[in-house]
Amino acid sequence: MLSTGMTRRDLLKRVSSGFAYLAFASLSTIAQGVASKNSSLAAKAPHFPPRARRVIFLCMNGAPSHVDTFDYKPELSSADGKTSSKPGRIPGAKLMGSPWKFSRRGESGLWISELFPNIAAHADELCVIQSMHTDLPAHPEAYLMLHTGNSQFIRPSLGAWTLYGLGSECDDLPGFISIKPTTRNGGSQNYGAAFLPAAYQAARIGDEGQPVANARIGNIKNPKLDFKEQRIQLDYIQSMNRELLERESVHPGVEGVIESYELAFRMRRSLPGVMDLASESAATKALYGLDDSTTADFGRQCLLARRFIEAGVRFVELTHGDWDQHRKLKAGHSRNARAVDRPVAGLLTDLRNRGLLDDTLVFWGGEFGRTPHGQNSDGRDHNNKGYSVWLAGGGVKAGSSHGKTDELGYEAVEDAMHVHDLHATILYLLGLDHERLTYRYAGREMRLTDIKGIVHKGILA
Amino acid sequence: MNYINRLLLILVVSIASTSGRISAQTSRTFVFDPERIFILGDADLDGRLSLDEYQDFLRAFPRMNRPTVAAESMFRGIDANHDNYISLSEYRKSFPPGPGASVKPNDPREKPAAVDSAVAITPDQEKFFEEKIRPVLTTQCGKCHSSAAQKLRGGLRLDSREGLRLGGESGRAITPGDPEQSLLIRAIRYQDDDLKMPPKKKLADSIVADFETWIRMGAPDPRIEGSHTKSNLSSNSAKSHEFWSFQPPKKHDPPEVKRTDWPRDDIDRFLLAKIEARGLAPVADANRERLIRRATFDLVGLPPTPEEIDAFVQDNSPAAFNKVVDRLLASPHFGERWGRYWLDAARFAESSGKTNFMYSHAWRYRDWVIASFNADKPYDRFVREQIAGDLLPAENNRQRAERLIATGFLALGSKAHDAENRGQFILDVIDEQIETTTRAFLGLTVACARCHDHKLDPISQRDYYALSGVFRSTRTCSGTLAGVFPNFNASPLIELPSGANMPSAVPSLSAEQRSSLEKRIAELTKERGAIPPGEANRDRLRRVNSMLAMLRYRLLIDRPGGTPRTFAMGVLERDECVNSPIYIRGELDQPGELVPRGLIRLLRDESNESIMSGSGRRELADRLASSTNPLTARVMVNRVWLHLFGRGLVATPDNFGAAGSPPSHPELLDTLSVDFMNDGWSIKRLIRRIVLSKAYGLDSTFNPRYFEIDPDNILIWRMSKRRLDAEAIRDAALKIGGRLTAEPPVGSSAARTGEGLAMFLRIAGQDVSDTHRSVYLPIIRDQILESLALFDFADPSLVTGERSTTTGPAQALYFLNSPFVIQQAESLAGRVIAFSDDDSRRVDCAYRLTLARSPSPAEQDRAFRFLRDFTAGIVSDDSKREAWNAFCQALFACAEFRYLD
Repeated sequence: MLSTGMTRRDLLKRVSSGFAYLAFASLSTIAQGVASKNSSLAAKAPHFPPRARRVIFLCMNGAPSHVDTFDYKPELSSADGKTSSKPGRIPGAKLMGSPWKFSRRGESGLWISELFPNIAAHADELCVIQSMHTDLPAHPEAYLMLHTGNSQFIRPSLGAWTLYGLGSECDDLPGFISIKPTTRNGGSQNYGAAFLPAAYQAARIGDEGQPVANARIGNIKNPKLDFKEQRIQLDYIQSMNRELLERESVHPGVEGVIESYELAFRMRRSLPGVMDLASESAATKALYGLDDSTTADFGRQCLLARRFIEAGVRFVELTHGDWDQHRKLKAGHSRNARAVDRPVAGLLTDLRNRGLLDDTLVFWGGEFGRTPHGQNSDGRDHNNKGYSVWLAGGGVKAGSSHGKTDELGYEAVEDAMHVHDLHATILYLLGLDHERLTYRYAGREMRLTDIKGIVHKGILA
Repeated sequence: MNYINRLLLILVVSIASTSGRISAQTSRTFVFDPERIFILGDADLDGRLSLDEYQDFLRAFPRMNRPTVAAESMFRGIDANHDNYISLSEYRKSFPPGPGASVKPNDPREKPAAVDSAVAITPDQEKFFEEKIRPVLTTQCGKCHSSAAQKLRGGLRLDSREGLRLGGESGRAITPGDPEQSLLIRAIRYQDDDLKMPPKKKLADSIVADFETWIRMGAPDPRIEGSHTKSNLSSNSAKSHEFWSFQPPKKHDPPEVKRTDWPRDDIDRFLLAKIEARGLAPVADANRERLIRRATFDLVGLPPTPEEIDAFVQDNSPAAFNKVVDRLLASPHFGERWGRYWLDAARFAESSGKTNFMYSHAWRYRDWVIASFNADKPYDRFVREQIAGDLLPAENNRQRAERLIATGFLALGSKAHDAENRGQFILDVIDEQIETTTRAFLGLTVACARCHDHKLDPISQRDYYALSGVFRSTRTCSGTLAGVFPNFNASPLIELPSGANMPSAVPSLSAEQRSSLEKRIAELTKERGAIPPGEANRDRLRRVNSMLAMLRYRLLIDRPGGTPRTFAMGVLERDECVNSPIYIRGELDQPGELVPRGLIRLLRDESNESIMSGSGRRELADRLASSTNPLTARVMVNRVWLHLFGRGLVATPDNFGAAGSPPSHPELLDTLSVDFMNDGWSIKRLIRRIVLSKAYGLDSTFNPRYFEIDPDNILIWRMSKRRLDAEAIRDAALKIGGRLTAEPPVGSSAARTGEGLAMFLRIAGQDVSDTHRSVYLPIIRDQILESLALFDFADPSLVTGERSTTTGPAQALYFLNSPFVIQQAESLAGRVIAFSDDDSRRVDCAYRLTLARSPSPAEQDRAFRFLRDFTAGIVSDDSKREAWNAFCQALFACAEFRYLD
């Protein structure tokens, strides 16, 4: 329920019929592109003053190992080679100390492994949550849980709920963008709107496995007509639409069509510009690692994320994988960490320098963690009972850690934070009460957090 | 007591009994129920015990941790038919007849021999209960453990007999006959530190002693069965059974109306009476162009041709529109349109979702649905075949095959085939079947009762698990190849009788192809043999195994010299049927009391109170399709109405429960429902009746005063404006461009890909290259084709009675820039140019094809101006052609094309 006490549907109904009369008088302003105030994407007031206004979600697909990255376990190293007391799914598995060295970083003294030398330089910006847990240790279920708060039913994604709650702040770009999302683990569900209006789903840019440099939003460019020709064509289309609207007096559907063409045309004009990195300086590009083939692709994603955020996009998700190292952990995690370390650090630096970090929430994490015991001589299995993610900016306590796993890293034992809790906390940072952000579907008020979720205020600045 | 402990308890009995050492002493202490023991041991819920399950079962009990060999020989001893599984009847036979084994072997539906129900209550016992026990339960426990509790603690209810016996999260509350094994006694004795009840103050010793005595008596409890369910439904539970949709529909006399010259039939009288009551009047009739465009899209999902429009406009006979409607109802495109609506409700798709294994045989169900609508199969039969087609008699092989295919309805839901816990997988499949069956046919949300009684409707958790037993006794055959990683939950397919001559989606292999396939298999087999064992080579092994499985499958279905073998997804009966326990909070490791399988209480009548034999699917099907079932006809009539008027008489087509909307015209809905049933459940006659009403022929003209009073047009004072759905937009563009392939394809590109993971299927762009109707496009979960997804295609994992209608920039970009629209526009431009040398006739032709009307003179002028502006004065053939292309595209892109008036 929105704060006004009306359901969203009521609101839309009133707004759209009101808009009809309004539109009748102000078609010219629509054509000029300042119309979207009354659309479902219009910016909305949060439930209470927000700490973060937008989100960049750095999704580490495949589940990075917490005991090799942000959860320092000296006891695990000393027990290296011993039989695990909690063998998980492999009887008699042997504990495996992290092959990477940990050290204290920054003034906060957070323990971060040598996998992330550049991110470690931002230790004093990070709020590492070391007590995450999720329901199931299987990728599709946990990935959907991370994105939608449910692994069994089709539910709206975190980004869709965010956009539903806050609306969009720009009228020439989508409010929710997912760059190179995976087609597995539920595919489009992970950035979908489910039962929320489709306007809240993410615009997908690029495909998994395709260099992001080639990524385009679907149908953004006409293969035949040039800009001028298309404008003539669009004017003709809109003149037919406006005449139809005049004939019909009130026709919200036609109003929507008119609005959609103008937004599409604005997107066609502004999106390629936002996605064109040519205007960025060599120094900025280097900051994100665009000068190195190992970091260029994710660096480009991070730079795009900053550009989108700057242009007013509410929620941007970037995906990197595959972190699923059941074997060859050393090689695999090294490669993955190298690919994201500099770009993510660059993003934090750049956001900070531009004054964007204070009200932008950066969220780094995967669908679960990995077992303290080894697998296949040099790998780790899935661990859902305890793992780490981190947040930065957007009102979180910088240079802090929250919660703990047991001495080996199997299970969250202190301030355990379920994915539902993380979702509740992220919404809280955005000024949204997860219990009030509801949408009526199948006979009840649905929530991102279902009937669960506790805001962990301990991580707030 | 936790799950393992409970398992141990019953194990003692089970093992003691199987080894013939059961003593009279033990048997009095643990009155056991073989079916329950069997069901708890059956970890993968396949209705039988494998050696592994049997051994795990033994292992759960340390003292019985005997050598594997011994366990195996016991297993072999019980497995009388040596099929390597212990069936329920084999299991039963292994028990010596004893005091507890009161379940009759051939009557699986008999109430389980849960100790409690067997004991009759003497007047003395009743007195004891009423005086000593009930007051304590009410005053001391009721605050937290009853339906009156503000928050129920520990999932335990003590205010009903069933609740007491069901127990709570900590396990069974009492073991009748044995106070020492009763958790409730331990709790009131303050025996364990972590469980002291009541928490504030220990009960007097005399009260504790009363409870011990009572349990020793066998816990006689006179409270009648069912009070548990009712108590959950708050105080107005009786009323919920009186809810409008649970009453049988009655035919009503049409109301009196003032404007007697307006109505054409009773539908109109019902509508007009309400319109007049609000001081409104219906708008004028739609003109003939609008009406034929509306009817043609509504009935067959395609635009009318200019010839069809002309014929109708020029037909002066009173039956002119009847002729149009009858022609459309007889068209083979009718089933493609209306079948697709059903496919939304049936959440049809050709892959599993999540890890996304192909369902390469799902298309047969799609074709069966389309054929059923075309043949106007009576809806009751349509329902029955989908739930129990395998159990219905068939006149010949063809009909047998079709009825097997119909049960695909139950098999094609989304599934997590990679689930590692087989038991959980089966429970989730059953849940999906319950959800889909009850929402699609009944508009009920029975799946809400998986974890707790339904909050609003009279559907108890017990009802849910009664229905769960029906599906648990059913084999769901979804296919998906074993051996393809990570498919941990493969299941077989149903082979169709070869005499049925069902078409095959894949061609026969030539001798050459067969031998090259065999060669490849031999190579791979050799390669597999050469892979050294060990974890390091696991991925390679998986790859080779997956490939081998797929190639072998291709070879397996081929019949040299004949047509390939044909398969379908669907369901069959299990060899032996079982009941399901209630799972407390829906959790697999919290099994409670067994529930006799059967129908939900709401659906029961005296004739089918309980399931007499088999799974009960036949009875479920009969009950769903019965004319005494208050919901089925109403729900379907409402679905039909929704597709013709854009809004259901009940605005929530998949929810006729308390959380749904009440009907806007209850008498009309009821009358139509009764007529529908009396009319042989004919969908075509129902549609015909509605479409021929005066109301359907209304114009969609706006009226500010009426709009003020009824903005949603609930009263139907006009026809609502409706946007075409994704299929109609794409199909219309193909047809108008002259590129539609009218004949249906055989199979689906999903089927031609074969088995395996959907990621190997390259489907992007198929909606551009394929020219068949959209209903035949591959429907891959999580990978819906652009032209469908952009225009609100129903999520194929959910029951969808009504799609949403959104408008967004991605749609605009699609019309402006997509290769598909550009292709159809160019094709249309070709038709238009060829039609005439005269530009005004060309513009007229393009308008009539796309918008089913001629342009006004002003529109003609604007079209000319556009053609001139676009070419910017350059008069070459190429530039002219480009201008016509752009003009035709603009017609597709304009709002009017997308909307029905």
